[in-house]
Amino acid sequence: MRKIMAAVPQPARSKRTINPVTVLLALAAFLLLYHALVNPIGIFPEAWNLHLRDPLDVFKKWVIVANRDGHWMFAFFFQPIKSSVDFFIRRAEDFLFWLPWPVIVTFVFVLANKIGKLPLALITSLSLLAMGLLGLWNESMKTLALMVTAVIISLFIGIPLGIWTARNDRAERFLRPILDAMQTMPAFVYLIPVVLFFGIARVPSVIATIIYAIPPVVRLTNLGIRRVPEDVLEAARAFGSTPRQILTKVQIPQALPSIMAGVNQTIMMALSIVVIAALIGGGGLGDVVLKSLRRLQVGAALEGGLAIVFMAVLLDRLSFAFSQIEHVSVERFQGFRLLPEKWSDRAWAQAVEKPIAKIYAASAKAEQKLAGALSRLLPRYRDWWQGHSYLLTSLLVLLVLLGVSFALGWEEFPQSWNLSLNQPVDKVVKWAQVNLYQIGDTFIGTGPFSDFVSLYLLRPLRIFLTDWLAWPIVMLLTAAIAWAVSGWRLALYSFFSLMLIGWLGLWEEAADTLSQVLIAVLLSVLIGVPLGIWSARSDRAERGLRPILDFLQTIPTFVYLVPVIMLFNLGRVPGIMASVLYALSPTIRLTSLGIRQVDEAAVEASEAFGCTPAQTLRHVQIPLALPSIMLGINQTIMMVLAMVIIAGLVGAAGLGFEVVDAMQNNKMGASVEAGLAIVMMAIVLDRITQAWAERQAKAANI
Amino acid sequence: MRNVKISCRHVCKIFGPTPEHIAETIKPETAVSEILENTGHVVAVRDVTFDVYEGEIFCVMGLSGSGKSTLVRCLSRLIEPTRGEIVINGEDVVAMNKEQLRDLRRHKMSMVFQRFGLFSHRRVIDNIAYGLEVQGIGRAERLQKAQEILELVGLQGWAQHYPHELSGGMQQRVGLARALAVDPEILLCDEPFSALDPLIRRDMQNELIHLQKNLQKTMVFITHDFLEALKLGDRIAIMKDGEVVQIGTPEEIVAHPVNDYVYEFTKDVPRVKVLTAGSVMRPIRQKEDLIGKAVAMDTTLEQLIPLTADSDGAIPVMDAEQNLVGIVNRRRVMMALATVEEEEA
Repeated sequence: MRKIMAAVPQPARSKRTINPVTVLLALAAFLLLYHALVNPIGIFPEAWNLHLRDPLDVFKKWVIVANRDGHWMFAFFFQPIKSSVDFFIRRAEDFLFWLPWPVIVTFVFVLANKIGKLPLALITSLSLLAMGLLGLWNESMKTLALMVTAVIISLFIGIPLGIWTARNDRAERFLRPILDAMQTMPAFVYLIPVVLFFGIARVPSVIATIIYAIPPVVRLTNLGIRRVPEDVLEAARAFGSTPRQILTKVQIPQALPSIMAGVNQTIMMALSIVVIAALIGGGGLGDVVLKSLRRLQVGAALEGGLAIVFMAVLLDRLSFAFSQIEHVSVERFQGFRLLPEKWSDRAWAQAVEKPIAKIYAASAKAEQKLAGALSRLLPRYRDWWQGHSYLLTSLLVLLVLLGVSFALGWEEFPQSWNLSLNQPVDKVVKWAQVNLYQIGDTFIGTGPFSDFVSLYLLRPLRIFLTDWLAWPIVMLLTAAIAWAVSGWRLALYSFFSLMLIGWLGLWEEAADTLSQVLIAVLLSVLIGVPLGIWSARSDRAERGLRPILDFLQTIPTFVYLVPVIMLFNLGRVPGIMASVLYALSPTIRLTSLGIRQVDEAAVEASEAFGCTPAQTLRHVQIPLALPSIMLGINQTIMMVLAMVIIAGLVGAAGLGFEVVDAMQNNKMGASVEAGLAIVMMAIVLDRITQAWAERQAKAANI
Repeated sequence: MRNVKISCRHVCKIFGPTPEHIAETIKPETAVSEILENTGHVVAVRDVTFDVYEGEIFCVMGLSGSGKSTLVRCLSRLIEPTRGEIVINGEDVVAMNKEQLRDLRRHKMSMVFQRFGLFSHRRVIDNIAYGLEVQGIGRAERLQKAQEILELVGLQGWAQHYPHELSGGMQQRVGLARALAVDPEILLCDEPFSALDPLIRRDMQNELIHLQKNLQKTMVFITHDFLEALKLGDRIAIMKDGEVVQIGTPEEIVAHPVNDYVYEFTKDVPRVKVLTAGSVMRPIRQKEDLIGKAVAMDTTLEQLIPLTADSDGAIPVMDAEQNLVGIVNRRRVMMALATVEEEEA
């Protein structure tokens, strides 16, 4: 009886309760009127400034002194970490420089050929070769050494952590919020504190990279092990396996694809920060881009940027292939094929494939001969020789190549093989700056566009945010939104987060940054949502867009600056354009996904009532896809925020610029302050949009 | 009497926050649903007692939720029984420590699962060798053993494939081979053929009967299919709401179901093939005319019908030692076929 009563909706309460959201809005409106008509509120009071930078700078001085004097914390903790990481980096770098380049390229080729197929082997080894052809072999190897060090250490910490969290619920509950928080933070946030404890140059770069890149591998190791089916585990237990046997013989092998997906993500995150680490002296390819950007040498910056893209492609494809290894007894396709199967009956394709097939047949024969020879030599290990003929042959080839390279002096990548893009690109950029700036007397061109964005979008918004909406009004409005989408906790949290930005004395800069972020998000949504809808409604559009989006998401943030300064020079607009390029993908992807996942029945029903496709889209598909679209926008916002500091590098004023400026001038306190302000802004925007998306999802379920 | 291999005494399994307490306090007459409502505890297995003899197939039959899968897991303590005693080969399983239990699972008993529980990352041969591998047997030896078992279950040529490349029936052959590879004394089968389609299921049942002729393992076979239990089981235990309702040979159960619940299962059984002279006969009365040749106790009704059709009198029934143990007549046969329990003595 009681249960039935509870299910009946309660009649609306007659007693009027005061809605707190209304109160907050009324308060904001009152302040707005007061501000506009009676007495301007003015800027955030200087007197409230926390002066956080002072104690930080004092602390930094203490750190320097303590470090010099051998304080126990440095002597026994930071210093040992520093020297062991440094040792590792040096070994990795020395090794990569010692290896002649043909050996490295061939190694990548045979490895990729083993785990993927010929296309993968070609893509990866050609990417490596391209770095050399751009004249950046040494810089690439430096970056690779940092990557190898950072990724290996990350995996050494991350995989055991993942296993531990999978086997221990309490550990998972403890680590999960930390990992969540770590993933919300923009990459550069980790650069600031590590500089304090480890100084500048490569060691802090690697340490920041490790901290930033560790969450995905922990998460996916945990997830992979937890997803091993219960019946499989039960079978393992029923045969009397020890917990260790279950872990090593069942759980880890079963979770391997998931773990490798985590490794792939960790590698890509590591690459993005290793490149940014040029800001604190990480060196390598990031440094090439950074230096060229500072000198406005677009050609050189593009070379560096392209090398980074090649590095990204190489690492991404290779580690992704590892996560795709399937358990099949017999390969579905025995031969080796470079081109897609559907072209196989064309004459030119056959002409390409035939020699390749011959080479492969010959190498297979060589493999078998080698294994046969070894079997005769040491018959005891015959099975092993036979089973590992590819490995043996590859090793032999690499060793021979090593000897030959040293004998012929092929250690260094030949200088003369340089496809310098410098001059031609600089010429193109000059041409673009002259000719694309304004085409004829029309309003088409990068100049008018840039002016339009800054004059009609950015400036009014900035003025609106600073002059019209005085700081208490912004805080109240944010709190009201937070309350409406979530509750009092988030409202309070948002209010004080914004207050903290004021207390740091960065309200004006934050408003500037916010205006850029909002414009970038607006542009991303305006471009992304229609593209997403288009790709949801046309399979061909989706097939066309997918590789582009994959590619855009592979590229480290830094690289986006290169094309935009080619077109837009310096300032806020190129920063926004770079952010849009970088942050567009999730909105497109999740809009498309959301619409595609709308229940078939709902669409059918709508069509049965005679809706036009446009009506179905507007009344059924978009509302039902809204939670997914909101999630995409949330991710876009977070990615735009991650770009704030990068945009600062091309002169986009605001918090990002503050961080860059403070870092370059070694002003520890100021950079922490600005970094903190960005994090506060990120957290508030993230929580509010996420709460909103969740509300939409809940509403859609009911 | 044959040797008792597994002996269960008053085994209980209760899920919930304080199972021990509930196990002590519940009264035998309280229904499972009532316990759930009042205490929030699920009584999965309730005071189950039975013996399994060496070399027999002991079927546990019940509908889903009757606790049969929980019961079989209690035998190897994959699920810890709340109360009760489980004795295997004279050793108390419940009292075993981790090492002893592991030893039991490695050498004495193995299990076949409904969803196969195969290791998808291992080749068929390595799946079969798994039990030997965890025992610490060297690679060459375990692969050789696995190869023998592979051929025994008819999977020649599939050794190097991965489980997902095999059909459902073949996957369960791998599951069976994996269990047999360790040469266990006891085989626990948790609805091994339920996930297979009917024709494959029949093949697998026949195959199991064929294998059992040579292997003579002690098997506890869980099923929800009464006909499967009749076909495979030397004896059958029927479970309902966690309790064993009836234990007996297939024909005892078909001939004398203890209650309506069991009777419902027996209704669709082809009785002429299951019931025998031994189960339908009645004691011999004084002054009775015995007509015709005596029949053996295990003569099925199918064979009896032509005899009784031609004869109005009583046909004598002899046991293996040629003693007269009872008679059957047309009435007894017809009553047995009509599934009506005889009331008069």
